[in-house]
Amino acid sequence: MSDLLQMGLTGINLGLMYGLIAIGLTLIFGVMRIIQYAHGEMFMLGAFVLYYWTAEFGLPYWPGVAVSAIIIFGLGALLQVTLFRPLQGKNILYSLAVSLGLVLIISGSGQLIFGTITKGIPSAVTGGVLIGGAYLSYERIVISSVSIALIVGLWAFLRLSVTGLAIRAVAEDPDTAALQGIQTKRIHWIAFGLGSALAAIAGCMMGSLLSIVPTMGFLATIKAFMIVIMGGLGSVIGALVGGLILGMIDSVVTTTISGDIALILSFVVIFLILVFRPAGLFGQNWE
Amino acid sequence: MTEIDLPHRIAWGALLLVALLAPIIVGFDPYLTHVGIIIAFNVALATTLWMIWSLGVISFAHAGFMGVGAYASALVLHKLGLSMWFGLWIGAMVCGALALFISLPLMRTRAVYFFMASWAVGEVIKRNFAYFKDFFGGWDGIFDIKPPVLDLMFVQIDFANRTAYYYLALLFVSLTVWVVYRINSSRTGMIYWAIHENELLAAHTGINVFRHKVICFTIACTLVGITGALYAHYQTYISPKSFDIWKSEFALVHLIVGGLTTVGGPVAGAISLTIVDEVLRASGYFRTIFFGVVLIASVLLLPGGLETIPRRIRAIFQRDSHK
Repeated sequence: MSDLLQMGLTGINLGLMYGLIAIGLTLIFGVMRIIQYAHGEMFMLGAFVLYYWTAEFGLPYWPGVAVSAIIIFGLGALLQVTLFRPLQGKNILYSLAVSLGLVLIISGSGQLIFGTITKGIPSAVTGGVLIGGAYLSYERIVISSVSIALIVGLWAFLRLSVTGLAIRAVAEDPDTAALQGIQTKRIHWIAFGLGSALAAIAGCMMGSLLSIVPTMGFLATIKAFMIVIMGGLGSVIGALVGGLILGMIDSVVTTTISGDIALILSFVVIFLILVFRPAGLFGQNWE
Repeated sequence: MTEIDLPHRIAWGALLLVALLAPIIVGFDPYLTHVGIIIAFNVALATTLWMIWSLGVISFAHAGFMGVGAYASALVLHKLGLSMWFGLWIGAMVCGALALFISLPLMRTRAVYFFMASWAVGEVIKRNFAYFKDFFGGWDGIFDIKPPVLDLMFVQIDFANRTAYYYLALLFVSLTVWVVYRINSSRTGMIYWAIHENELLAAHTGINVFRHKVICFTIACTLVGITGALYAHYQTYISPKSFDIWKSEFALVHLIVGGLTTVGGPVAGAISLTIVDEVLRASGYFRTIFFGVVLIASVLLLPGGLETIPRRIRAIFQRDSHK
């Protein structure tokens, strides 16, 4: 019983973190219809900003998360304006190629600048609590609550604020949105920056829980894409549900069978979901 | 799709001639011959991927299917003791059968979702090679895959020789490119491009879209299976890492940099980028950084790819003559 509870809690925790990475990606895709393959590199850079902030300069943890989010927001917006704007409206393959180039550049220079030695970020909180025989560290609780808060916050931002409304309008139909007086170019860089900042925060959380290396971005990209595709591109709810499904598979199958099988199984699940629901669980069907 | 015209004929003939004379030009240098063989494999990979692209989708399972051909041929050699001359065709058949089986559900998905579904297929293929240790050798892979010997009664050609293998690879790659070109310029190829342009409209003009997609995918994967078998017997060692997502991605990059509308695009892209990659090999981490820069620059500064260069040059002269 306590094993099941432990697996469930770890699964939910992992799922929320995966969901946080994936929501940034789904936001970028939903608004711009581009494949941002370098999303995992934003996750990696976010973690490294926090690492330099806390471990090298010895500054406190939470302001560091905010600084990291702001820096990556700026970087994302800059990349959108310089590289992705010229590709707007072209075939999706071109954005895939450009972001693939970005992956090579960022992870290559990351290995050059940060070195390939595994680093760790000191945790913000320590200790833990036993719930019904399952151990839950305070750190995981904090991470889960931050993820939930950010997901709810993003949802509220998209529903309630004027900018959020504009983002949804551009995602729905850029031309009609432009006719209503929305500056689509501005919305594009805001959405891109916001999505990247979410990935950076997820990187900060993950970085204190696990260890950080310059090549960790690729795995994050894979997970994020698996989740986003499973949940349906452009859907925030879908990303959350997809994240939880993937987190559960990872947690349960890794503890009961093995990590290799967990990965194979998650790809099989995605394949089956796509075969029976070709636009993902919550995605709308578009060309 | 139209009948090939004279400048194209000359260009293809010149390319083939250069490829045939290449070992003599480089003085049978082992390293440069090796680069030539790698170029040949990349050309085959990019060209067959381009064939799937003529349906309007890109398959990330392509390297996975190359792996299926490679593993099938290697296992035929190790478990049955049959040489590559059998393994090549058995590998191609296994690959084709698997592609047919998988494409039936896979072709239900569309556009971006197809990328991901095919990615899942490629990953599962690779992970299966890694997981079943007893049969596929796990992450360590399969060693000692002997290149074949051709016994022609009076002469024996041992393909452990690099120059000999270069011509073998060149033969099969030329055949692959030729098959892809012929299919593309036939009526069937026009049907593929009709599906590429508008699937719904194609279905309404009486084209069985699903069947054509499945057939095209199967042919392309069979061809890449042959390439995989050749790759296995050239490297003499294969592991699941040789066929991961990066190989499919680089094939896609070759395609995009080369150009997407004619068969010349993937050929030009694969040749030029493989050479760039080899030139940068000595520079360590800078290699990946430079490669990324080349990739982004070519997409942003040369939209349409290398295949548009002749047209651009012609446009310069025409503009001058009009003034």
